[in-house]
Amino acid sequence: MRKSYVTNNLKLNEFDALIRITVEMSKYLYPYIRELLKSKEEIGENSVIWNDFNKRFIELIKERFNIDSMRVKKLLNQAENDEIITKSLLILSFCISNQGYQKLKNFLYDF
Amino acid sequence: MQNKLSFHQSSASIEIIGLPDYSNNENKDQISIISQWKLTIVDKPLIEGKIEHLKPIMDAFYTYSNLLIKNEIPIYESKLIDIKADNLYIHNIVLKSSKPNVKPLVLKIGNSLLSDTINCFDQLNESPKVRIKKTDIATKMPKKLRFRLNKKVKFFNFFIPPFIAICSLVLFSSSFIYFYSPFENIEIKELINPE
Repeated sequence: MRKSYVTNNLKLNEFDALIRITVEMSKYLYPYIRELLKSKEEIGENSVIWNDFNKRFIELIKERFNIDSMRVKKLLNQAENDEIITKSLLILSFCISNQGYQKLKNFLYDF
Repeated sequence: MQNKLSFHQSSASIEIIGLPDYSNNENKDQISIISQWKLTIVDKPLIEGKIEHLKPIMDAFYTYSNLLIKNEIPIYESKLIDIKADNLYIHNIVLKSSKPNVKPLVLKIGNSLLSDTINCFDQLNESPKVRIKKTDIATKMPKKLRFRLNKKVKFFNFFIPPFIAICSLVLFSSSFIYFYSPFENIEIKELINPE
């Protein structure tokens, strides 16, 4: 899915390190994640915070991912990516405890 | 005098009231014998109960949140609590009282309150000051999955290289069918040297 011509397999310790960084970042960003989740709860209301986030998300995807891939195209479609983004935010928000590292690892293995 | 411990996360908090188990030489501020607990969610009615209700409610929230994430149908039903999803953003909680003639309490919470509640339960689970039977649904990797993962990796490492080798041999050798036909050669030889 990445915009790269080199296929480097992620080593186990690198995978662990990435999970740890993600958990620490979600602890730090929890108020923002929570606000994003909350913004979608009001039915029929397109909130500014969600639209800004979605816009930036699409920008980053276009910049770093292979946009010819069907899976990436799905991420770029604003009508379809709501569910993916909400679930990803939920996973991050569930993993901010001390055992968040283990939780996130299990969620990823289960995917 | 009972001990009180509170765990907060944004709009949700849980309060645990109980006593230490002195027969186990526990500290004064420890809680091992829980007499009451209260779950407060902003703008929602107070949820409280006895120790035997706490564990099933925590399990329900953990199981439901796992279902929600894993693309399975997010429905949890039990004698004490039902949780269903209205949609991806709103969740319906029905708390059934164990007392007769008491109507069930219905709550609607969004993803933000759900994650606050889960984080409160996480804090309670991880607290060294409260001794409850730990809920490890979310943190424990299922043995089946571990086994499956190991087996998958081993299976692929073991079988994929010879499988690819055999496939390539078959493909490579099948192309020679067009280059060499022994029957045609025999017929030509017979035509040249008719005996």
